[in-house]
Amino acid sequence: MPSERMSDEKRSVQFSRRKFLAGSGATVAASLAGCFGSAGSSGSDSVKIGFVLPFSGTYSFLGESIVNGVKLRLDEQLDGEIDGRTVEYVRKDTGADPATGASITQEFLQSENVDFIVGPVSSAVAGAMKPEIASSGSAIWLNANAGNFKLVQDNCTKYHFRTSFNTWQTSAPLASYINDNIADNVVLSYANYTFGQQSKNLFREEFEKVGGSVVDEIGAPLGTSDYSSFLQEIENSGADAVFSFFAGSDAVNYIKQFSSFGLNEKMTQTGSGFLLSADTLQAQGTAALGMYSLLHYTPTKQTDRNQAFVDAYSSQYDTTPNVYACQGYDSALAAELAVTEAGGTETDPMVSSLAGAELDSPRGYFKFKSSTHDPVMDMDIRQVVEADGGVQNEVVETLTQVEGPTWGCNL
Amino acid sequence: MAIEGIAKTALLGVEMGMTLVLVTVGLTLIFGMMDVINFAHGSLYMLGAYFGLTVVTVTGNWWAALLVAPLLVGLLGGLIEYLSIRPLYGRNPLYHILLTFGFAIMLHGLVTEIWGGQVQNIATPSLLEGSVDLVLFSYPLFRLFLLGVSIAVTAALWVAMRRSDFGIVMRASAHDSEMVDALGTDVKRVFTAVFVLGSILAGLAGVLLGTSRAVDPGMAASIIIQAFAIVVIGGLGSYRGAVVGAFVVGMLNAFGPTFAPQFTDALLYLLMAAVLLVKPAGLFGTPEGA
Repeated sequence: MPSERMSDEKRSVQFSRRKFLAGSGATVAASLAGCFGSAGSSGSDSVKIGFVLPFSGTYSFLGESIVNGVKLRLDEQLDGEIDGRTVEYVRKDTGADPATGASITQEFLQSENVDFIVGPVSSAVAGAMKPEIASSGSAIWLNANAGNFKLVQDNCTKYHFRTSFNTWQTSAPLASYINDNIADNVVLSYANYTFGQQSKNLFREEFEKVGGSVVDEIGAPLGTSDYSSFLQEIENSGADAVFSFFAGSDAVNYIKQFSSFGLNEKMTQTGSGFLLSADTLQAQGTAALGMYSLLHYTPTKQTDRNQAFVDAYSSQYDTTPNVYACQGYDSALAAELAVTEAGGTETDPMVSSLAGAELDSPRGYFKFKSSTHDPVMDMDIRQVVEADGGVQNEVVETLTQVEGPTWGCNL
Repeated sequence: MAIEGIAKTALLGVEMGMTLVLVTVGLTLIFGMMDVINFAHGSLYMLGAYFGLTVVTVTGNWWAALLVAPLLVGLLGGLIEYLSIRPLYGRNPLYHILLTFGFAIMLHGLVTEIWGGQVQNIATPSLLEGSVDLVLFSYPLFRLFLLGVSIAVTAALWVAMRRSDFGIVMRASAHDSEMVDALGTDVKRVFTAVFVLGSILAGLAGVLLGTSRAVDPGMAASIIIQAFAIVVIGGLGSYRGAVVGAFVVGMLNAFGPTFAPQFTDALLYLLMAAVLLVKPAGLFGTPEGA
């Protein structure tokens, strides 16, 4: 949107000035810290959490869901205290702009003295935040959505704990299920940007490894509203199944149009879970029936743990939780565990207590892998089925403790 | 590419193009008449979709939404024109740009506040579900309906502008509004009427496309960029330009993924640049621009 572009430009000018000031402040602070020992976080009897999330623009809904998840745990279930320490929050809007994300992070680390950073939504923003967090070392980064595997591959940092997922986990593990149960040949369709390309490539690698063949690849620009001519290419490929990565409104447009052109009668649609998630399914409706997807959180999963979470969330916010809310909730669980185990908010002891730790997540098994701090977790293969007044995902198989590669990271 | 494929892609192109006309015509008429570049036009389209969504939820009747939502958008458009744009006529066009830009931002916030940021969709009426067998290939019925409505509206507008009294006043006002005013027609009312008409068309497109596509607060931005490109290609202010431009872009959207899959995003802008190099006023634009 032109309006956003203009305001972002303005914002980034402002922030770069602030960034410079903050930067020089940091240098002074760092040298002082050298003299007086520990850089120290905020007051000893409080825990400060900084939300670096989008609260405006396309992803604002995701940002709000993550905050809701965090607050459900800390404010509602723990009465705003972790281990006797009061929880405080600061939040700032990243929009979708990496530079803004980086300067907010810097501000939170240096002037707000946060103990935890929760966010961001976009992997591009995460890439810009990483150097700030790695060099500061004064807070734990609970990455509540950015899935780019390269955050771990390039210069992995011990302060980064992914309470969400990585791109490999939401694509590759579906390959052998498809090859065994659905089809041994697929066409790939994806939103043509970093995340879509990664999902497609990681899936392709795994699918070929298990003996399947990829007939064709079709990339559509991010934000395409009419997929009909791409759908024709997909149909022409003659494949028996499709694996796709689309999210949000792209996923709704793609799935609705896929079925309106009758492709659902000719081939089986599969994809990364964002293609058919709780926040798109209602709009996709019956067009999504029978389609398969893979994700780490399914609100309809029939476990007591999940049911308790869904009930608590629904009664608090009057809506069912989505995967982002679960990632927020798990970020809160991680913060809780870190402070409690470490007996305080000193960063390095908290890092040691989180590495390898298990969380009692609504999604199922969850552990921070010691070598990468990426999650090891259960992944659900779901199929869309009819439900009262609409459609919903039904878990058809749960892949247990899915790890994925370490990409050379060894913390 | 087989003959069925080409035929189907061509039909897709016609359909995508003609549907875009509903949006671009309003944009170009408003500019042609009042020299107002209406950045809020995409937001009016978005409101059409959201009003439609609410009417369908409340009444359960899609056809009611098709009728009511565009009228509501027309009413809102009329209010916007009367209360805020009218006092600025005759000033530097930048005032209108800033004003309508402001409306676009406000409406985006308002829609997110009222309806939420999540993706929604208007359910297809059962009468228009399914596909039609067109011998060489089958085609979704709803899309044929979209095409039919777009063609009918475009043709009706064309005839109205050529033949009706109002059409004559409209064209005269676009040509020389002072003279029309001097001859006893209240040009300001003509302007309001044109703005309302443009808004109704945008609202209509909103309901129709909100049914075949996702409804979310980002839909205003995605349509307005494409609509502006089309209007620039066709020539700002030209009705014929808006129709031909939309048709060309529809074809580009349809055949692009087949012949240049890696460049589909860029094709529209390449075309726009090429047209502007050869004909700076657009295909059907008048060079002096006033």
